[in-house]
Amino acid sequence: MEPRSRNPLTMPAGSVLGVIMIALTVAALFNSEAIVRAGESMQPGHTRDVVLSVGRPLDDVAGAIGLHLPRKGFDLAFGQESKTATGTELEQGSTAILRANRRKRRAPGFIQPTQQDEVNVFVTGDSQAQFVGEILTDLLPSDLFDVSVVARNATGLTNPEFFNWEINAQQEIAARNPDAVVMVMGGNDGFNVLHEGTVYGPDDPNWQLEYARRAAVVMRELGSNGKRPVYWVPPPTARDPKFNEIYATQNKAVEQAAAAVDGARYVDIYNTINQGRYSDELKIDGRRVLARQSDGVHFSREGAVVPARLILRAMAKDYRVLRADASG
Amino acid sequence: MPAVSFPTIEFAAFFVVVFVLSWALMPHPRAWRPFILLASYVFYGWLDWRWVLLLVGSTLVNTFASHVIARSPSQATRKRALIAAVTFDLALLGVFKYLGFFVSEVDDALDSIGLGSPLPLLQIVLPIGISFFTFQAISYVVDVYRGETRAAPLGDVAILQAFFPHLVAGPIVRANELLPQLRTPRDPREVLAGPGLFLIVGGLIKKTVVADELARNVVDPVFNDPSAHSGLETLLAIYGFAAQIYCDFSGYTDMAIGLALLLGFQLPQNFNRPYLALSLQDFWRRWHMTLSRWLRDYLYIPLGGNRGGPRRTIRNLMLTMLLGGLWHGAAWTFVIWGGIHGGAMSIERWTREHFRGFHIPAWLAWLITFHVVCLAWIFFRSPDLSTAFDMIGQVFAGGPSPLVTLPMVFLVVATVGLQAVPGDFWERAEAWLVARPVVAQGVAIGLLMVAADAAVGQEGVAPFIYFQF
Repeated sequence: MEPRSRNPLTMPAGSVLGVIMIALTVAALFNSEAIVRAGESMQPGHTRDVVLSVGRPLDDVAGAIGLHLPRKGFDLAFGQESKTATGTELEQGSTAILRANRRKRRAPGFIQPTQQDEVNVFVTGDSQAQFVGEILTDLLPSDLFDVSVVARNATGLTNPEFFNWEINAQQEIAARNPDAVVMVMGGNDGFNVLHEGTVYGPDDPNWQLEYARRAAVVMRELGSNGKRPVYWVPPPTARDPKFNEIYATQNKAVEQAAAAVDGARYVDIYNTINQGRYSDELKIDGRRVLARQSDGVHFSREGAVVPARLILRAMAKDYRVLRADASG
Repeated sequence: MPAVSFPTIEFAAFFVVVFVLSWALMPHPRAWRPFILLASYVFYGWLDWRWVLLLVGSTLVNTFASHVIARSPSQATRKRALIAAVTFDLALLGVFKYLGFFVSEVDDALDSIGLGSPLPLLQIVLPIGISFFTFQAISYVVDVYRGETRAAPLGDVAILQAFFPHLVAGPIVRANELLPQLRTPRDPREVLAGPGLFLIVGGLIKKTVVADELARNVVDPVFNDPSAHSGLETLLAIYGFAAQIYCDFSGYTDMAIGLALLLGFQLPQNFNRPYLALSLQDFWRRWHMTLSRWLRDYLYIPLGGNRGGPRRTIRNLMLTMLLGGLWHGAAWTFVIWGGIHGGAMSIERWTREHFRGFHIPAWLAWLITFHVVCLAWIFFRSPDLSTAFDMIGQVFAGGPSPLVTLPMVFLVVATVGLQAVPGDFWERAEAWLVARPVVAQGVAIGLLMVAADAAVGQEGVAPFIYFQF
């Protein structure tokens, strides 16, 4: 037997291991949903497989014996709402939503901003939304447009088990009731999707169809069926050719979805920036800047000026006051 | 940023394995040393294995230089070896941290005088922790030169530099603090679990409950668009950032120190209730203590310190703080941050010398110090100078303040207020925790981890601010 420790702050290493293992077991059991969610947020690979293969059965057991309750209590205490759910239209639904909407041809009449009544713009999406949203905030006249930016890192449409954008759109629209929405989204969407009972990878035409359907579902929620414009910005070109292919497919899918949903606008930054060729640097106002971050996907803060201006140009079609800014 | 970030599933699994094997191998130093080094390299290389090559390169060069310094009888050779090593270290930092900025500025300058844009813009990935391990390398080789520490074998220097708890964001450890511990096997019967577990859980809560909550709900929205927010919201965002960066950075180093304690090693303290400081000089004795001591020992004192009269002292203070600002990154905002601290410390020194009998009440000294620190934080947090000036101008704006909520105000007040709790209270709490049965400790810590995860919600823990430096 180990002699008793003299320092009141010390313990034998074996006991410390006991504390660590019990703490991790308690945390894993009471937080099994979070483990599954963390696994689902990871990129495909061994780590993700291991985390999910441990997390899912643990979650089933924990859920069955009511161990989710303390976490739900903590969520309530911290005001956290569930951003995911099962059985939503985002996960499974009809492609009928993609049928061209005749009403869309009507000229929309969105509320125009005045000095007394600003237009509230809600910029959201994945991590790419952060800098683009910040620059858009700078570009829009602050006395006429009030912009808020919420970037949900690592999220996408092909992984609703981790983050369900349909649910989130409903929550955000109910809480904020914005006049316009900008959605910058798609950098994390390389996952396979389930379409009519079959799993499709991004290189399959059915993946594009399913992606378009999911985009349309979220567009409809964000726009409340045409009540407000939704400017949807799929990813730009990427340095990695594999990502580039997926992003091209996403752009086609979003274009298809936007054509079908009232108030939805497809903002093309894939084909327009540098004529669709990837480049780390871009010329902005006659000056060369490092426009992309080292991952070859995200814009740098300086580079985010380019997509933000393209969004501004798209907004100018709906907001007369921006026409001078967009052409300038 | 998995693996290199402590609050992740991957790191928890990694640490359990390392903890067991480290204590199992501890009685066998020949096995333990390669093991802990390998574990540290796995930790660091998880995101990009090429970073490990960089770290190994830095270790090899500095170890070689330290041995030349230790063995050479010629002072000139010793000096040349020191200069070569420090130049290598600074060049490493310069290439990865400042070259892109420098090339871009030169290119702009050439363009502005009509010479076009001849230079290629460089896309250089900044390896996480490079500023920390480079400063540590400089500290080691200079200490060997000064005779403050003996040149250590390659394996020891490698562990000193790469030991995973402090590798990414400090504390910046000096050779004479860690090398003696590496030479003596740690006692598995006397693990400092009380402070270790307390620091880990406390650091986690500081990060998730305070730093990330303040960032998400007040600091980021206001700094992203100052003109859209009222004066009250702007003030709360400024105070909020002061609380956020303290809880974010000290939370990380608390966890680092706690993890090292569980493995049997003591790292130096990095924060000592900094927002109780009554002067800027006092603040720098309490904030990022291992960086301020590095700046003092390897920059301020070699520059002459306070030995050359008041003017030289002020010049040295300003230079030290400006370079300290630049250490955070190549941006004017960091230079001004350093300038405010250097300027304020210079004024303090001048005032002390010219008004020797004059004392201001402690509460007023605290108020002034805290607000000078907060003013500097505005520049530190702002993405550019215009945002910083917008923030300052917006403090006086009216308008509704929906972001000023009781929970956010409470978090700021609690962050500052808790620093006034005497240190022995926490020590008693640590002793109390350790006296509980193992199961009770484990359950309590497990539930606190669940609560901390609930605080950040589904968005997950944000990257630590100091990872970018």
